[in-house]
Amino acid sequence: MTAFLAIGLLFQTVSPEAVEHAKAGLAAKQSGDIKEAIVEFRKVTELAPDLAAGYVNLGAAMIENHQYSDAIAPLKKALNINPSLTGAEQMLGYALLSSGYTKEALPHLEKAGDPGALGIAQLKLGQFPEAIKNLNAALEKHPNNPGLLYYLGRASGLLSKQAFDALESSFPNSAEAHQSLAENYVALRRLPEAEREYQAAVKARPDLPGLHLAMGEMYLAMPDLAKAESEFRAETDLEPGDAESSYRLGDVLLKEGKVKEAKAELTRADNLRPNMPETLYSLAKARSLTGDAPGAEKNWKRVIELEAHSDLAAQSHFSLAALYRKQGKQTEAAHEMSEYESLKHGPPAGK
Amino acid sequence: MRGVPALIASLLFTFSPSGVTFRQEASPTPAKYLIETMGGGVALLDYNNDGLLDLFFVNGGHLGGADFNRDDPKYWNRLYRQNPDGSFTDVTAAAGLNHAGNGNYGMGVAVADYDNDGYPDLYVTSFGHNVLYHNNGNGTFTDVTAKAHVEAGGWSASAGFFDFDNDGKLDLFVTRYMDWSLAASKPCARQTYCPPGEFPAVTNILYRNRGDGTFEDVSAKSGIASRKGRSLGVAFSDYDGDGFADIFIANDGMEQFLWHNNGNGTFSERALDAGVALSDDGNAFAGMGVDFRDYDNDGKPDIIVTNLARQTYALYHNDGNGRFSCRSLETGLGALTAGSSGWGVGLVDFDNDGWKDLFVAQGHVMDNVEQIDASLHYREPPLLALNHGGRFARADSGENAALAGRGAAFGDLNNDGLKDVVVGVLNDKPVILMNKNANGAHWLGIRLQGVRSNRDGLGAIVIVNGQTQYAQTSGSYQSANDKRVHFGLGDKTLVDIQIRWPSGVTQHLKNIAADQYVDVKEAAQ
Repeated sequence: MTAFLAIGLLFQTVSPEAVEHAKAGLAAKQSGDIKEAIVEFRKVTELAPDLAAGYVNLGAAMIENHQYSDAIAPLKKALNINPSLTGAEQMLGYALLSSGYTKEALPHLEKAGDPGALGIAQLKLGQFPEAIKNLNAALEKHPNNPGLLYYLGRASGLLSKQAFDALESSFPNSAEAHQSLAENYVALRRLPEAEREYQAAVKARPDLPGLHLAMGEMYLAMPDLAKAESEFRAETDLEPGDAESSYRLGDVLLKEGKVKEAKAELTRADNLRPNMPETLYSLAKARSLTGDAPGAEKNWKRVIELEAHSDLAAQSHFSLAALYRKQGKQTEAAHEMSEYESLKHGPPAGK
Repeated sequence: MRGVPALIASLLFTFSPSGVTFRQEASPTPAKYLIETMGGGVALLDYNNDGLLDLFFVNGGHLGGADFNRDDPKYWNRLYRQNPDGSFTDVTAAAGLNHAGNGNYGMGVAVADYDNDGYPDLYVTSFGHNVLYHNNGNGTFTDVTAKAHVEAGGWSASAGFFDFDNDGKLDLFVTRYMDWSLAASKPCARQTYCPPGEFPAVTNILYRNRGDGTFEDVSAKSGIASRKGRSLGVAFSDYDGDGFADIFIANDGMEQFLWHNNGNGTFSERALDAGVALSDDGNAFAGMGVDFRDYDNDGKPDIIVTNLARQTYALYHNDGNGRFSCRSLETGLGALTAGSSGWGVGLVDFDNDGWKDLFVAQGHVMDNVEQIDASLHYREPPLLALNHGGRFARADSGENAALAGRGAAFGDLNNDGLKDVVVGVLNDKPVILMNKNANGAHWLGIRLQGVRSNRDGLGAIVIVNGQTQYAQTSGSYQSANDKRVHFGLGDKTLVDIQIRWPSGVTQHLKNIAADQYVDVKEAAQ
């Protein structure tokens, strides 16, 4: 804590009694006795009421003891005495934020230049774009911080909701509003309502990119494979360069048993976006079903290279085992089954 | 549909014959006891040998106590005798079948003449204990369970008679679902039936027929008890052509079992190696019903397993050399069954064109599934898919109403050479679908009579006009089929019959006229 760095100066300008209490406070803090530290630092502020560092130490100890609202007064006092104490500014911002005084915390956090806490405060105040910007900045300094990731996700979600709410209230009959409602119904698994909204969206804008893809995914969940195929086909007609819709179309064709068509479409999807594991897995299956065993083997092996430990990798090992058994390659089949078992159920004992 | 008609004129029509008043009582409760949603077995048998198929329905029970209140007639199993005019008479009490046994909540039924006296016997499975009813040959049955030592216990589902050691005496296989009890029961998330993995797996039971009216439990020494399952369906065939009956078991939520008969009284489980344990992606199915027949007329028995919605039904093609490959996609079953949940199933030639078609009794396991997922349905119409040279296309099943279908039994109720279907429906009357195919295709029915082999001829392999049938009454889900072996002949009016009996005797009959039921007695060879 920055405040404790001022302790040397403290010793030079205050009474010996105050210095003793400051030393005792520091010792208590170092030994983990925060309550005793608070008692000692409070005595320092009583014996040296004009010393900003005394209040900083007290506030810091209170924050460490999760007494956020108690910490506000001493930290404010410290800043009244010395407005240039950046550490006190930052701690006061934390204390105010943690006590629910978000609006009041904001200027202190801005002055302190702490983008993480500032982003959280902005999120609470509904300033979502600003919050996202600051939380992203904080994540650059502290990548993989779970708290920052959570708040960034929440801010993004709320910004998204805000936009959709605005869309639905301002343009209720637009294709995009119907699509947004449909997606909400899909999330709630209320598929008949979702289908109704999607149909309204298509009526308004049959050429809206992504709409037929989303509808196809809904039909796939029902599952109504024929309708899903029709929607995926509509999407690939609209966006012939989109690998996702091409993969979806190929995969549903495969599920329908239209293996030759599936193979052609999945090959196209693979060309549009190479090395997509889902595409490669389904393409391997289509190749296997059309008698192209070497092609299937190659694709399943590539899935395993790309995703060594996923469910798709386990499925690829299982499929390779079946392929090798058909070819009479018992050793290879046994190896693939062993890999499959290991991924599905964990390695055998002793391995 | 690539040259395959999507829909053809209806073959099957619902029929409400006079006299059949049965209603299955599953007695669903808010407690969501799993047994409530799993019953519904049906049998087609000619119990009095008058040449007309009779109907037997398995009932559930009252879920207010451990005795299930089976003394109340509402909860009886029911036997209906078919009269010459096509009507039925309830002969349950007269036949002595009105005592289902307190403590039993009924599930399914197996039928065969286990003592080779010429009359079909009944084996009724339950949660509780199972009952073997010996047919006395005079219209009555006697409960011989205790004497025969085939009570089983726990939760039994499908059962089937077959002769695993080819000694001429029919043995009995009993599937058991899980280690479950009313006390251990619980509802799962969102107040519905728990998935099977919530309860421990159990072993199945193999009883060897000693030939003196008693059976020996050989589950352990045969190897069957070496694997625990959550077994619901069972079907038999000789998948590797070694002359010994193999067993396929549909397990729920785990790998399926294929028990290879080693020919020495033991079995080896080979599902994974054979490629029938899991989906082609290596995922477990919710296996429920099963049939084990040759759908593509290559002479080797294939396997179909019915599963839950979003899994598709699994059709495993027998590639020979003990290997199968999953052909659900290429045969069109992926598209036909992706959204459906199936139970009773049969590969049966309904239009007599020489290709076995597919019928499935359908409905989701959870009676509140719509509240959880609006795209799935507790009640569904049955599926009829006609086989066009190995690819299936949906046809009108004759029953467009949605049902909680479970068991399904197949047979020719009116002896017109067309296979009919009876579907067991939870908490409802059964659905009887009469086949009124009018394409003029010819057919042949064969009544087998074993001499050295078991009298029913179960396990015989019969080849007619390039088609192969394995004689069995088992398969489907908790149900028993007409034992007569049926062939659709298309435009053939004269055919040869080849039979390989379980005893090893082979028999050839030449120039047999179509459109009749013929009796074939095992030759002395």
